[in-house]
Amino acid sequence: MTIVTGKAEARRKSQPGRSGALRNMWEHRADYAYVLPAIAVMLVVIAYPIYYTIELSFYKTPPGLQLRDKTFIGFDNYTTILTSEVFWKVTWNTLIWTFGSTFISFVLGFATALALHRDFVGRGILRAILIIPWVISAVAASYIWKWIYHSDFGIIGAVLVGLGLTDRPPNFIDNVSTVLPALIVVNIWREFPFAMIMMMAGLQTVPDQLLRAAKVDGANAWQRFWHVTFPHLRNVSVVTILLLAVANFNSFIIPWIMTAGGPSNASHIWITHIYELAFGRQRWGVASAYSVLLFLILMMLGYFYVRALSGNERKEGGA
Amino acid sequence: MSTIAETASRGQIRRRMRVDGWRWAGRIFLLFMLLYTALPMIWMLITSIKSGFAATQFPPQWWPDEPTLASYQKLLDPQNSVGQDFLRFFWNSLFVSTVTTILSVIVAVPAAYAFSRFTFPGRNFLFFAVLLRNMFPAVIFLVPLFILMRAIGLVNTHGSLILTYLTFGLPLAIWLLKGFYDNIPVQLEQAARIDGATRFQAFIMIVMPLSTPGIIATAIYSFIGAWNEYIYAYTFLSKNDQLTLPVGIQRFFSENTTDFPGLMAASFMMSVPVVVLFLVLQRYFVRALTEGAVKH
Repeated sequence: MTIVTGKAEARRKSQPGRSGALRNMWEHRADYAYVLPAIAVMLVVIAYPIYYTIELSFYKTPPGLQLRDKTFIGFDNYTTILTSEVFWKVTWNTLIWTFGSTFISFVLGFATALALHRDFVGRGILRAILIIPWVISAVAASYIWKWIYHSDFGIIGAVLVGLGLTDRPPNFIDNVSTVLPALIVVNIWREFPFAMIMMMAGLQTVPDQLLRAAKVDGANAWQRFWHVTFPHLRNVSVVTILLLAVANFNSFIIPWIMTAGGPSNASHIWITHIYELAFGRQRWGVASAYSVLLFLILMMLGYFYVRALSGNERKEGGA
Repeated sequence: MSTIAETASRGQIRRRMRVDGWRWAGRIFLLFMLLYTALPMIWMLITSIKSGFAATQFPPQWWPDEPTLASYQKLLDPQNSVGQDFLRFFWNSLFVSTVTTILSVIVAVPAAYAFSRFTFPGRNFLFFAVLLRNMFPAVIFLVPLFILMRAIGLVNTHGSLILTYLTFGLPLAIWLLKGFYDNIPVQLEQAARIDGATRFQAFIMIVMPLSTPGIIATAIYSFIGAWNEYIYAYTFLSKNDQLTLPVGIQRFFSENTTDFPGLMAASFMMSVPVVVLFLVLQRYFVRALTEGAVKH
């Protein structure tokens, strides 16, 4: 289907002149009616805010959103950001957070999908239980884990003391060096089920005949996985990893509720930092400049995302 | 002869052992993941049936000496102020999520159908624009949306949330539904049109019934997304009687920081509707994701 679209477009492009394209649009005018409601809503709520954020990033803004009093200052907001120490600290945190969460969630999810691939008694129930963390609210998840990590009455601390590993229960989320890993554990808890579902779906597309043929030819389990299953899953993996990376890069609730960026910025990531700049310290201009930088980074990620998706399409169209 | 047979059978045994090794590794791994997933939820439940005193003891009571449902009674009792607030938050969440869900199905169905069936100029561009939207974080939109909502007088109303959730749920909803429409053979519609149906009639009478699973899945996604959303609700609403559950619970427990059983009971009850919805309609839910993302 998609390959047909591609060809049709190529033919369209070869038509000379702009009137051809316009005529084409006119001929298809009825088709746009179906998309119109979606486009209209998105223009108001998406396109306008993006434009406004870019504009605001070049202004010095007074607090309290009295935006008539803003003054144009060119790229000053951007230089303020790039020369501040907090920026690099927060960027480093964001990198650890995004890569750590994405990589471990993907590996755990993939491994779980593989282990669940074979049928056994209770598989359906087990799968349902494993998906639940992904369904419940991140706010609830944050509170559950905050309670688990609690410095006085937390269950992890109690277990560690009970086993004689420490004298006092450790304080995971008030400690500069442990807070980020502790939050990543929470994030993975919520996210690995997503990777699991995606990879389970991917596994179903691996043809059984190929696996059986490989077995007949004497390939062991690892070889079958590495040479047959894994190549088949490359595209699903890329899409899953990109979706996870974007979601992690954009996550807000877990760090915000559990630590609000503390202690001393050790768990601030870009999003929480932007939020604090805008709504906490009311520095709208700087926060907007941050958003624009974020936007540029995400556009880059988006480029790979689209390329991975269209790679999928091309492959399937050809097959 | 016998030695050959012996080595052969030994080889077989070794092979079976190796296979068993992988299988055992898989089982142990699954057990580990089950504990990682379930233990926090179990601890939430156990804490929620403790008294405030029992929850704050060290070492903790693994099972409460005197289990009590007091926290749940307090939250669900319309007579006292805590219960009033909680029930109101619950109702607000239910209202916002339901309206969002209905609207997003109404808007997403025709759009997804168009993306699946028609090849109008700009179709691919529009589709990727829809997908790309999914990449941008809420924070980018917060300030301008806040100003926009203030300008059109929607701040502190549920309308602001519904409009926002609708927009941000749409890309995913369209994507999921498109996957379903792609799998419905065009020939069915063509047959109907040969029999004299208009395109719209064919859509309503042939395509809609066939895509019901997709619509259900999309509806669950919208509902869960709206139910769990936090950041816009946190920013747009300030009046106590309009808060949705995630924000309401956060507000409440930033004032009552030591009521851990109450907090866990509230977290549990906030999770119940979406988890039940998910467990009942799991089939559609998982299928939609795979139709949309994997097969694409």
